[in-house]
Amino acid sequence: MTQPIDCGTALHELYEFLDGELTEEKRSAIEEHLDHCAPCDGARKFEGELRIVIADRCQEEVPDELVDRIKAAILLAKEQA
Amino acid sequence: MADQATFADDAMQYLNQLFSVAQRLTGNRAEAEDLVQETYLNGFRAYGSFQEGTNLRAWLFKILQNNYKNALRTKSRRPVKFEPRDDEEIEEHYFMNRTTPEDVALDRMTDTMVKKAVDELPEAFREAVLLADVEGFSYAEIAEITEVPIGTVMSRIHRGRKSLQKTLYEYAVEQGLIATPANLGGGTL
Repeated sequence: MTQPIDCGTALHELYEFLDGELTEEKRSAIEEHLDHCAPCDGARKFEGELRIVIADRCQEEVPDELVDRIKAAILLAKEQA
Repeated sequence: MADQATFADDAMQYLNQLFSVAQRLTGNRAEAEDLVQETYLNGFRAYGSFQEGTNLRAWLFKILQNNYKNALRTKSRRPVKFEPRDDEEIEEHYFMNRTTPEDVALDRMTDTMVKKAVDELPEAFREAVLLADVEGFSYAEIAEITEVPIGTVMSRIHRGRKSLQKTLYEYAVEQGLIATPANLGGGTL
């Protein structure tokens, strides 16, 4: 059994937790807290969802011309090599 | 040693990711296209030095990042606020301290809102947040790509996210996506 974690610590390390950057011991201690603390669990879910929204909204469609341009540039470089 | 002949086959699968980040770094479609093309060309030329079996995606992002930095340096078209001083402490979990999750319609945040908020981040923060949140790179990978110590990466991601959250919160209030005391008043009683 690891040392119990308080809300301040759990929230402070929430980013590292969500980013998968904690040691297994630390990760499970924080998870234990999040599983039993509704406000902190709310923060985990919110931050997680926000991350998904940011990633989703920042996707750009690649123009076909760009694909062609890059392939052509590589071909040309190959010929010159 | 990687074989130059297979470069296009190996590397083209990352075009979408590189282009998405390039677009947010430059804030400009034409520049993003040039930056990505240059990245692929440099990648092709240097492919002989790429260690096969290591992280090709991170390697390409590192080239992109280098090219972008060089372009910024030569142009200096705008005063680059690369990394702001630590004088403005923004609270963590900005939304959470003002709202409950149910009050926020995250799924109603549009592409335009999110992109604009990302574009407003200072360079170093924008880069770190994009690599972490959009591309899912680890702190160690981001440290390698951006050539800064891991502690700096963590601080940039942390402060960048906080700052992004603050901006998004303000947009969300403007757009009425958040129930605030001010815009709750209009309801029928």
